[in-house]
Amino acid sequence: MFSSLLQKATAFITDVPPASPTSPTSSRPTKTTLFRNHFRLPDSQAPLQEITCELTLPSGDHYAGKLYLSESFLCLSPNPPSSSSTASATAGIGFTLPLCAIRRVERLHSRSYMFALAITTWHGVATSAPPPGGKEERVTLQFVGMRSSCEAFCDRLKRGLRSQMGEVKSLRILVDSCYSEYLLGNSGGYDGVKRSTDGVGADDGRKKDKDPPDAGLGMIFKYPGDTRKLRDRSKMRLWAEYLRGIPLRNLQALSTNGRNVTLVRQPTFHKLIRVGLPNRLRGEIWELSSGSMYLRLFNPTMYRDILHEYDGRHSHSIEEIEKDLNRSLPEYRGFQDDEGISRLRRVLGAYSWRNEEVGYCQAMNIVTAALLIYMSEEQAFFLLSALCDRLVPGYYSKTMYGTLLDQRVFESLVEKTMPILWEHLVKSDVQLSVVSLPWFLSLYINSMPLVFAFRVLDVFFLEGPKVLFQVGLAILRINGEELLDATDDGAFISVLKSYFSRLDESAHPRSENDKLRAVTRFQELMVVAFKEFAGITQNTVIEQRNKHKDAVLSSIESFAKRTQLRNLGPDSKRLTPEELGCTYDRYFGVLYERQGRLQMIADEMEKLATKKRAAAGSGVGGNGGERGRVGLGPTTGVTGMDYDCFREFLTGIAKWAVADSVLSAPAEPAQPEQPGFFGSYGGTAAASQWKNLLNPWGAGNPEPADHEFMKRMFRRWDTDMKNQLSLGNVVSGLASVVGGKRDIMGNINYWFELYDDDGDGKVDREGILRITEALLFVTRRGDIGRSESESDEAEWGDERILSAVSGFTRMCFEYADPDRPEEEGDVKEAGKDEDEDDLLELIASSSDEDPLNTPETVSPGERSPTTPVPKDNAKANLALDPSNPLHITLPTFRMVILADEVLERFFERGFAESFRLIPGSEPQATLANPRLMARMPTTPLTPGNAKGLRGVLDGIVDEGMRVAAEVRRRMEEMDDNREEEGEEGEAADAKSIREGDRDLLKGAEADIQEGQGQADELHVEKGGGNKGEGRSRSVSYGDQASSGVVEFES
Amino acid sequence: MASRDEAPKLSSSVKLVLLGEAAVGKSSLVLRFVNDDFQENKEPTIGAAFLTQKCALPSRTIKFEIWDTAGQERFASLAPMYYRNAQTALVVYDITKPTSLTKAKHWVSELQRQASPGIVIALVGNKLDLAATTASDGGDADGGDGGDGGDAGSRAVLTAEAKAYADEEGLLFYETSAKTGENVQSVFEAIANAIPENTLKPRGGAGGFAGSGRGGGAGGAGGSGGEGRVGTAVNLEDGVGAKDGCAC
Repeated sequence: MFSSLLQKATAFITDVPPASPTSPTSSRPTKTTLFRNHFRLPDSQAPLQEITCELTLPSGDHYAGKLYLSESFLCLSPNPPSSSSTASATAGIGFTLPLCAIRRVERLHSRSYMFALAITTWHGVATSAPPPGGKEERVTLQFVGMRSSCEAFCDRLKRGLRSQMGEVKSLRILVDSCYSEYLLGNSGGYDGVKRSTDGVGADDGRKKDKDPPDAGLGMIFKYPGDTRKLRDRSKMRLWAEYLRGIPLRNLQALSTNGRNVTLVRQPTFHKLIRVGLPNRLRGEIWELSSGSMYLRLFNPTMYRDILHEYDGRHSHSIEEIEKDLNRSLPEYRGFQDDEGISRLRRVLGAYSWRNEEVGYCQAMNIVTAALLIYMSEEQAFFLLSALCDRLVPGYYSKTMYGTLLDQRVFESLVEKTMPILWEHLVKSDVQLSVVSLPWFLSLYINSMPLVFAFRVLDVFFLEGPKVLFQVGLAILRINGEELLDATDDGAFISVLKSYFSRLDESAHPRSENDKLRAVTRFQELMVVAFKEFAGITQNTVIEQRNKHKDAVLSSIESFAKRTQLRNLGPDSKRLTPEELGCTYDRYFGVLYERQGRLQMIADEMEKLATKKRAAAGSGVGGNGGERGRVGLGPTTGVTGMDYDCFREFLTGIAKWAVADSVLSAPAEPAQPEQPGFFGSYGGTAAASQWKNLLNPWGAGNPEPADHEFMKRMFRRWDTDMKNQLSLGNVVSGLASVVGGKRDIMGNINYWFELYDDDGDGKVDREGILRITEALLFVTRRGDIGRSESESDEAEWGDERILSAVSGFTRMCFEYADPDRPEEEGDVKEAGKDEDEDDLLELIASSSDEDPLNTPETVSPGERSPTTPVPKDNAKANLALDPSNPLHITLPTFRMVILADEVLERFFERGFAESFRLIPGSEPQATLANPRLMARMPTTPLTPGNAKGLRGVLDGIVDEGMRVAAEVRRRMEEMDDNREEEGEEGEAADAKSIREGDRDLLKGAEADIQEGQGQADELHVEKGGGNKGEGRSRSVSYGDQASSGVVEFES
Repeated sequence: MASRDEAPKLSSSVKLVLLGEAAVGKSSLVLRFVNDDFQENKEPTIGAAFLTQKCALPSRTIKFEIWDTAGQERFASLAPMYYRNAQTALVVYDITKPTSLTKAKHWVSELQRQASPGIVIALVGNKLDLAATTASDGGDADGGDGGDGGDAGSRAVLTAEAKAYADEEGLLFYETSAKTGENVQSVFEAIANAIPENTLKPRGGAGGFAGSGRGGGAGGAGGSGGEGRVGTAVNLEDGVGAKDGCAC
């Protein structure tokens, strides 16, 4: 009982909790990220188990370290993965073993209290007979820890091994493509040693006749540099020795350090890389130390699949790639040849398809060309992926923020390590990055002679981006004195250029000491970089990046904003610069925030749906993990706003676009109105509640309405027919509704065109009804256009709008032209039967009035109070009969609008004014929550805003009710009100009465509030006593009047 | 220092930046101006390249410090780093690609708003050699030859159109061919002449800078203002020894 408890407890302790949902912009890497980076594992891997253990190699070497288990890997490293470790694990002792490369695991029972496993790897299989020396070809792992945790680890390992069985096929393909396999399998002198092909079931002879695997263009066009000078043969021999193990006397020794996937890293491994890799092994070791080999292992067909899928397709990136193919390392013979060029084309093209966010950036051509000299296309493709996604993230992205950020980091490191030089640079106004940017962007390939650049790359892939900084600092340090003499950019550059051209010369040409004289300037550079600047660790780089990130992104964003706004075209001139700026912020704010939010929701859903992630499969995720800022560049698929995003966008600029359901939501300040929109994302998201995370509109944001009118507007603005709105589309769209010189005719035309689906100059019955709906929808929060002359809000009460809109519908049908006039007679009867809905009755009822008088009769007071429903009105029935098509033309539409004062005003100003592009300019407009809106003091200028009766109308549209039915109901209500009030029956009074009633009903509540102060007293008084005083009274109370409205609305 | 034996002239260095869409021939223009050379497959510029070349005017010598920038769209955000403090800019487009003129216009407005005030901007339509594919002679840079050819490799931007834009914005305007060298010197001369006297500073003491001719004070009112674009010779021969090209 106790032991099981203990087991549980330890399991709890040792079990690494799953990665918590991290804020997309969180700067501190999670444990999982650290783990992945440390062992250079694909994005799908997370640590599942860890245990302290001691590793014993067949050679007898012992190392202590920590053993980790993930879904598909077993990894060992002497130091824990942390951001403070000097380099990645690949630079240290240990191994990163894909589980599928483990052939056998045995539990050793040597000593009872010990818990040890013997692991036989793919390459370590003892052949037919055990070697005479009796040495086991396996690594031994002796666990240090409680028995229960050892058991737990083993259990997990067992499961992992089983699940990874299927990957063995991929492993076999991968291993066969590795040069080390060929090297060791083919090398003479160890004939007695059978290769570990038993699993393959092939005979040994086969391999020897096989062609060597592709080790890059160098095999065809020679590798750069003089192989003798590079001492390539001795390097190769050293590597062969390392991989195979030092030959024992009996010549029967098997591989002791494994190779490619099964390689065990010992200190020699690191040293061998530092002295420069041999040509033919270079590609493979790059792959291994960067981790791209694991991407390739788990995606065996990806490269070919992409090539196949996108064969012949065109894109902007493909075009740009074509431009540069002939100018990528043109000095290398392989790239003067069609073979090299087409390999480069395929790799760059495939990557641009795989990661469309990055696509293609100049400098990638140079880097990829360099890779292709040493590795196959497929290897280069995955190494390029690892490079862009993980090693130098953001370097080649659309905004190149990574490049700019690292330049800032580099500058601050120079300032820190070489203050005198830095001061000199500042004094002479030399901008360091003009010199250093190409170093980083092309990983020195473009700056140094190739042979030396490759030496830097050897270490870079092993130790990570800090190497770029170390080398850069060393260059400046070595040339410090000369640089101090240079006083302008030009001189600065020429000093460095001449330095690079003499890297192969002796660093100490005048030294007496032969050995010292033999040291080249490049060797000196490496020593300075890695000894003198050993203090520059991965952690330094991460810290510095975090420190400067915001400033760099902000400057990119302000540049992008400036440029984009300036280049928007003529339509943008119709908005003020301030309006443009706010539109820009809102556009990208919504776009990116939404993207991040949806991503998070998707992640959460996935987590809920499948607790276990699918096996290592999707390794090449390309997910940088950072989203939500313009400066970080566009995200895949997000090239514009889709309809939902557009709705969300509208909520911030037009209050009618906010769904009515928020009326019941708790009042909460809406996020988009906060200044510093871009910056706010990370903080608010992190602090948000769990349920808020899953809100598709974002925590605290108003929920957008969804109305047919918005859909039409979206379609209208989507001039490129991409079902997405670009910033340009949005600006043009806004310009067309709110832009400066819009006149009433323009707006009327605009609405008409919005509903003239086929552009034939006719809007049919359905269209008329939809316009009616849209008018009610847009005006339901009271934006009908202010009247300068009439400050008496009663004039602009809701009833006015209602009757104006109903009058509109009526007149439209009245003046509509029948599509088929000859059928008029037949349909007269049809109107009376089954489909006689509310709408029909309403229209019929209205149509007995003289339409020409309508402008005068819109005011309900003047209207004949009881309108009987004359069922026999043929004209109206005809108009409403679905089987009798009709339409209105633009002139009719215009006439109908202009015939009504309210509508006229709406089209003249109201519609345009319902958009508020600049947040804060009109608080009522931007505060998304109508509750809050209503609490704002009602200014005399906007008397009609947020009036009570409007609330009754709210929700009509969302409920999908026939709008005309609602209109009729309103009419009836008004009639009722009038009856209550008698002859004087002003609409405004009707409202006051209702307010009064409501307040009376809520009397108890009001009493309680009484204690709160004078204001509340006034409120109560007003509520109770304003029956006869009309609206002007309540307006004068400002805030209190609005409170009354709120209560009424709810 | 300077290999010139003429009477000491005022010498000033001028920072010039080249901007324009990718592959319009910015680097080639510079290569032609500095080295009188042309390369068919020029490596794309990463970040920016720095080169210098002198240009002798009757009254003074101008040493151009040329910043040749990368043209790919995404490098645009790096541009402010390079046009910072530039006294003059060459905005280049490709006369066979109308989109490149649009991009050039963007650059012009960026410079007008963000670069040092009073920056002298020249609009340059490059690849004039390709305009000769139509019947009209490639030699005359004026008079839109109507070659609004649709096929690739022939003129697609009318001279008159670009000229009108340049006039409107107050830019110098030239059509050039880096391949044949046509008009290349003229552009730089015109720029040298157009730089206001008072913005010229004496060359700073650039140590270890081979062949840099030092000038006196800037105060000299050596009325070059009136000289306009009359054939001033560029000391190409001298310049060859003095150039400091750097492709890093």
